[in-house]
Formats: sequence, structure tokens, C-alpha cells
Amino acid sequence: MALLFDSLPYMLLFPAVWLLYQFIPDNRRWLVLLLASVSFYAALKAPLLVVAWALVVVVSYYCGLAIARQGDEPRKRRILWGGIAANFGVLCSIKYLRVIVEMWTPAPVAEARWSDLFVTLGVSYYTLQAVSYLADIYLETLEPERHFGRFALYLGFFPKMLQGPIERGGDLLPQLKSPYRCNYDNVRSGMLLFAWGLFKKVAVANRLAIYVTAVYRDVHGYGGITLMLATYLYAIQILADFSGYTDMALGVARMFNIRLTQNFNAPYLATSIADFWRRWHISFSRWILDYIFKPLQMEWRNWKNVGVAGALLVTFLFSGLWHGVSWNFVVWGLLHGLFLSASVFWKPWQTRMWEKIGLHNHPLRRLVQVLVTFNLVSFAWIFFRAGSLNDGFYVATHLFSGVGSYLVAVASHLGHLTQLKYLWDPILMEKGLRSFVLLTVSVMIMVLGNVLKKRIRIDHQPAWIRWPLYCTFLVALCYLSIYDDVGFVYFQF
Amino acid sequence: MISNELKQAVLEALKLDDWEFADETTAAQVPGWDSLSHVNVILAVEKKFGVRFKNLEVLKLKNVGDLQRLLDSKLEHRS
Repeated sequence: MALLFDSLPYMLLFPAVWLLYQFIPDNRRWLVLLLASVSFYAALKAPLLVVAWALVVVVSYYCGLAIARQGDEPRKRRILWGGIAANFGVLCSIKYLRVIVEMWTPAPVAEARWSDLFVTLGVSYYTLQAVSYLADIYLETLEPERHFGRFALYLGFFPKMLQGPIERGGDLLPQLKSPYRCNYDNVRSGMLLFAWGLFKKVAVANRLAIYVTAVYRDVHGYGGITLMLATYLYAIQILADFSGYTDMALGVARMFNIRLTQNFNAPYLATSIADFWRRWHISFSRWILDYIFKPLQMEWRNWKNVGVAGALLVTFLFSGLWHGVSWNFVVWGLLHGLFLSASVFWKPWQTRMWEKIGLHNHPLRRLVQVLVTFNLVSFAWIFFRAGSLNDGFYVATHLFSGVGSYLVAVASHLGHLTQLKYLWDPILMEKGLRSFVLLTVSVMIMVLGNVLKKRIRIDHQPAWIRWPLYCTFLVALCYLSIYDDVGFVYFQF
Repeated sequence: MISNELKQAVLEALKLDDWEFADETTAAQVPGWDSLSHVNVILAVEKKFGVRFKNLEVLKLKNVGDLQRLLDSKLEHRS
């Protein structure tokens, strides 16, 4: 069984690693974390993954040292490009091995014989991290790490190994060298963060997945209301799933006094698509911004806004392809690229429009912008989630089919809605009222928890407030959790 | 020390009335200086001073002080 955050073996083994860490001298602590990281990765039972990771570590370590040592600019650039090519070579070989094998062997046979070789967990994340490390050394914003073991740990630190955050060398490497003193506050807040992430995953994302999967598995079998609702539910599911994982990763790391990058900042409160990308998968959007968008933007700066729009399109096309070589992800990436490119031209007009109608500084402006952004993002998620491009286009073009007649029916039966099963079916999706109520309660707890987290530090409250809250939360976690082997959405990338 | 000319070029590019710039000021600290408007700032500085920065030089900039030093070195080489 894979050692995933929400699995029992992980929850048993992690405390053992943490306890061992307490009794090891500072100069050997990196070794405990590195061995734990390799063990966790090896437990995925995909030997090729460990080999690929080791290859990326060795190549990046020596390329980093060589770039820093080299004084001649053209040679320096050649080493950088060599390192980047090697890292992307590893990434592409692992990710497209299945496609290559299936060119020669029928898919079911290939799956039965070599399924272990087709596991790609974590590769996309640590290869991007390795590329950022080399680029930062080349740009002279980072000194190379000279300790091989610590460098290997930087790329393979187990909490962030499988799904990020994609850490910059300047942020994580110094923390791996800091002397460790057990910090009770960090242990407590780390455990709380882990538990909160677990709730988001097992009580919210897994519960939402039941509805979303049922609809997206057979999109032709549902009407507009259900397709629309499933799309909004997916928007919440993917946030709960990915930010849940991130919270667990951050929580585990914090117990070792290591602060990983916060990957989410209320992304559905973004007032524009650009703002959304400053709040969603922050470590990845920083990466594509710094290493793809900015160089292209500078290269094409004489074309002014057209150059910026072109750079945005290319950047988000890469973002789509990074998620997977399928037309679905290409369309999803291009949609975001188009939204952002359009905003380059539209933004001055938008500002003038709000000034003209006198709502430039009105809260209504923010509300409208949040709603429009959320709907654009949700629309793009359709292609991210759909099983095929055809399914994606079907959902996108049938979101409103039957919605008018449904609303008329609701309006004309307002007095006795509860008795009309055919009006509830498109919303309940044949899962029953109880299941829908539990889903709503889970989502409400997540929303409420996020609001509370911003306003008060629960771990700083007196015991008579903390302990009833902990107990209520544990009961909610046990009662609302669903463990049915629903993997994390972002593991596939 | 940030020159008044550079300050004006940046303020005009960002359509700001005023802002106090120090050597350590980063783009993220200045209202409206985000990744999308960064190119406008660079273009405005290049146009105002009649210089051309290399892409790599721009990518290495960490703060306004770096931009001032890069500009000074360009102007020095020109004269």
C-alpha cells in the first residue's frame, strides 16, 4: 500500500520518524529525513521513480556547482541548458513511458505487465524544483548547495515529494541547515494543520468526488442543472483536495520546524484571473511566471501588449501540457491564457467603465469581479475534469439546457417543493437527501474553518475554548470522513 | 540612492502620483508594479534614458537599487 498522507501506515510511520529525529545530533538530522524520504518514495513500489529521482539529484547537484564555478557566460549558459534538458528528459521519459510502450504493446497487456513502471508520482514536482534551482544559480540569486545529502533532501523531502509545494532553493535549503530544537508551538500547530488538511480531503473532497465522478463519468445522461452543479462542486472538490494535501504537507514539515511555501490563499475570492493565479497553486504559478513568462515577456517587449499577451498564451499552454499531454489540458491551459491575454487589453476599458458608472471604489465592484472570476475558473475546470475533449465540449455547451423550464417549474410550485421529487433529482443526483445534507455540512465546516483561521489562532486560545473545539472537530472528522481509496487529484501530474 | 529621473519614469509607467523609492524597494512593494506591468516599467526606463537592457540583465534585477545601478552602468558606457 502506498504511503499516502491519508493512509494508516503513513500515520503510524510518521511519528516514528519524528521521534527518531528528536534524538539525533544536528549534524546527522538531514540523514534521518533523507532516509525517511527515500523509504516513503520506495514504498510506492515503483523502482523507476527512485532511479529517476536519484538521476535528477545527481545531474542538478553537479550542474549547479559547475554553473557557479564557470566564469565564461556562453559556457555557463550551455551547462544550464544541459541541466534543464536532462531534467526535462527524465520528466518526459517517465511521464510518456506508457504512451511509448503502448505503441508496441496493447494497452491491457502493457498495464498488466509493467504497471509499476507507469507510476509518475512526484516527478513533475521535483524536476521543476531542480530546474528552478539551476536557473536561480545562473541568475546569481542562489548559491549552490555543496552538501550532497542536504541537496538530495531539498529535492526529496517527503512531505512535499508527491505533490509539492515546488520549493525554491533560497527558501528551503537554509532551513535544512538550521539547528533543531523541538518547538511545542510548531508541533501543536503542525498537528492541527495536518488534521485540518485531512478533514478537507476525506470529509469534503472525497464526499464531493462521489457526486462529481457520477456526473462526469456519463455527462450525456444529465441535464444542464446537474452539469452546472457538478462543475461548481468540482471547483470546490479540487480546492479541498489540493489545499487539503498542502495543509497536511505543511503541517508535517512544521513539526520538524520547516516552513514550506503556502500554496493557496483563498483562490475563489480572486477579483481577476491574474489574481486567481497569485492565489492558486502559488509555488507553481511563481515558477511559470519567473522561468517562462518573464523571459518571454522581456524578449517580446517591443511588441508591447501583444508581446505580453503572446507570452501569457505560451506560458499557460506550458501549464496545460505540464498537467498532461491531452487535449483537455491544452484547452484548459489555453482558456486561462486567453482570459489573461484578453485582460491585458480589456483592463483599461474596465477601469474606465467602473469610473463612468460611479462604482470604481464600491464594494459591489469587488463582488461582481469575484463572481465573474469564479465562473470563468469553474468553466475552465470543465476541461480539466472531463474524461475526454468531447465530454468537455458537451458539458460546456449543455450547461444551460433545460435550466429555463426547470426554473419555471420551481417558480410555479414554490408552495410545495418538498413533495416534487422530479425537481429535487437534478440537485440530489440520485444520492438521497441525507448524503446531500452531509455534503453541505462538510463544505460549510470547511468554509467556516477557513474564515475562523484567518481571524483567530485556535492554538492561542485558552484550554476551555480549545478542547471543546478539538473534540467537536474530531467527532466531525470521524463522522463525515469517507475512505474509499479516492486518490489525490494532483497526484496524476 | 534612486535618482529623481528614474523615479519619475517608474511613476509615469505605473500611473502613480508619488511613491518613496529606496535601494531595497522591490516591485511587490509598489502599488500596481506586478508581473504584467513590469515590462512597461522597463520600456519606460529604456525610452526615457535611450538605453537598451539585455534580457538577462533585467531578469537578474532584485530591487530598484539594482535597476539604478544597471542604468548607471549603461549611461556610463554610453558617455
